[in-house]
Amino acid sequence: MRAEIRKIQEMMESADYVTDAAIATSVHLAMSLKKPLLIEGHAGVGKTEVAKVMSRMLTTNLIRLQCYEGLDAAQALYEWNYPKQLLHIKLEESTDHSLAQKEAAIFSEPFLIRRPLLQAISQDGQPPVLLIDEIDRSDEEFEAFLLEILSDFQVTIPEIGTIKAIHAPYVILTSNRNRELSDALRRRCLYQWVDFPGFDKEIRIVLRKVPGVNERLARQISRFMETLRTLRLAKVPGVAETLDWAQALTSLHADHLDEELIAETLGCVLKDADDVRRFKRELASSGVSRFAPAEG
Amino acid sequence: MAPAVPRDLMTATLAFGQTLRAAGLPLTVSELMDAVRALEVIDLGDREEVYLGLRACLVARIEEVPAFDRCFEAFWKYHAEHGQSLDGLVSPAPTPPVAEPEHAGGGTPGAEKQASVALESWEEESEDTGEPLEVPGQSDREVLIDQDFSTFPAEDLDEVARLTILIAKRLARRVSRRRRPTRRGGIVDLRRSMRANLMKAEIIELRRRERRRRKVKLVLLCDVSGSMDLYSRFLLQFLYALQNAFGRVETFTFATRLTRVTEQLKGPSYKLALRRLTDVRDFSGGTRIGESLQEFNRTWGHLVNRHTIVIVLSDGWDTGEPEVLSAEMLSLRRKAGRVMWLNPLLGNPSYEPLTRGMAAALPLVDHFAAAHNLASLRDLASHLRLR
Repeated sequence: MRAEIRKIQEMMESADYVTDAAIATSVHLAMSLKKPLLIEGHAGVGKTEVAKVMSRMLTTNLIRLQCYEGLDAAQALYEWNYPKQLLHIKLEESTDHSLAQKEAAIFSEPFLIRRPLLQAISQDGQPPVLLIDEIDRSDEEFEAFLLEILSDFQVTIPEIGTIKAIHAPYVILTSNRNRELSDALRRRCLYQWVDFPGFDKEIRIVLRKVPGVNERLARQISRFMETLRTLRLAKVPGVAETLDWAQALTSLHADHLDEELIAETLGCVLKDADDVRRFKRELASSGVSRFAPAEG
Repeated sequence: MAPAVPRDLMTATLAFGQTLRAAGLPLTVSELMDAVRALEVIDLGDREEVYLGLRACLVARIEEVPAFDRCFEAFWKYHAEHGQSLDGLVSPAPTPPVAEPEHAGGGTPGAEKQASVALESWEEESEDTGEPLEVPGQSDREVLIDQDFSTFPAEDLDEVARLTILIAKRLARRVSRRRRPTRRGGIVDLRRSMRANLMKAEIIELRRRERRRRKVKLVLLCDVSGSMDLYSRFLLQFLYALQNAFGRVETFTFATRLTRVTEQLKGPSYKLALRRLTDVRDFSGGTRIGESLQEFNRTWGHLVNRHTIVIVLSDGWDTGEPEVLSAEMLSLRRKAGRVMWLNPLLGNPSYEPLTRGMAAALPLVDHFAAAHNLASLRDLASHLRLR
């Protein structure tokens, strides 16, 4: 294994992010090839965390663009500061500046509000990490617009001119697959699918993130989650649910799982009425030992 | 500085790329160049690392991983057996299929191919760019408009295809609208207001623009089983046109199993799209609508939300269990903004939805309509809205 990749993995672990070789390798490639990295996976598997750890590793800024339906260039790229422009016009009222002068004044840099994409492009010094979070929530038009930005990292503002990045930022995109992204965007990025953690990884996560949890309980919880995720659920519980549950069980001073405890705390894990019904049916037919074997 | 990748390894990587293309991954040239660059910065002796590195570069969606894994196995075997000399890999690699032009990353070897493909694309293309399109529905077209798809003589097919495309484009325009300036109502457009009032020192006259409408997405599920044969070629053309005229469409076909064909349908030429479709199409005889919908809900359910219109195009001849169909329709209906069922047989005045499948699905459908002729496709426009 390359030293760089091992180092990335170590730094992620020391930042309390339990990771594996796949994620470390793709982060290493994103940094050395300077390619955007698209991370897909279910909600709550720690996709966003990758960007945070990366910025810490590079000791550079993290600039985050949270996507949502209806996100447009004014929110993502730049906007003029209208109140400030108004105030300026008011203050200039008594002067005899020409229309052209007034216009040049209020459409200049001090009146520009830099949104995340412009910030990421126009940063001096070290290139930042640009996190474009939940890109699947934005519209197709925005995706096309983003593709343009990602290909040449330059922006033209009609009133000012073209701004071009000196160093292209490191770009991380995350998606929960609420919408299928276009092939054009996908094939421009490096790709990493982050799955639900396996049994061993989940134990490590629980032990790392839940203070006071005992190892036996952590093992039982992870086994339970592993089995639970094999049922056909409408909302498959993620790592966040595992941690909530482990936290709840720990504060109840539980040191092992039993049927009663599971029934009382099931709300931490299953959040859909149909799923709860399905689980109870499975529990009734195959018994609690399938989900929580005595020897975890 | 890492040592440059040996020439053989580069050739081997390109050959690997061709194997992957043959396995269905629409790789771009720039992805392959990335893969070569990636090999410079990873440990070539570490199988796991080479695998992970190449996968990060060459795979673009989780569904491509199984194919990648199979091909990688072969790639690595040669790599291990031949050390750095990978001639063995290059020769037995299957001949690559011609790269699809839409992924051409500049300077591809398929450049001259691309030119000929462009010529193949619809001749109608140039006519289509004019905005106020004559929407079919008048005069001499009337005959075609109302004629059942299954009865068209061969010489009319081109004309029908053209009209289908026009209808799809009109539908798409109806659903997707951009924000435009408007006189009243809507939200204040500060940028334009500021400009308009520069010399007045106060905002006197507000400029407005349309409030953003809720974006509607379409999910099309088209039955391509034997019983639909007479209709499916028209409907596929319709799906193709809709896919390319309107961005937010996901298209699936089904007979006994479900196939996502969104990517296959994209592109400037219907002929090419059709060729790509035949590669993935499920030609088997029966129809399992319930199971296909179940598959859709399980694998692609995340595409449906309350801004989605789901359109099922099928005659309702289901050889599966009607209980499965109604359960899956119910689950679709809960999530979607609107569920429509288009049935070509409904064009026949004596048709009654008595097949078990149709009877099971019907109560759960928001809009049930015919899809047997051009007029029925045209009339869809007024129903393409959310509940």
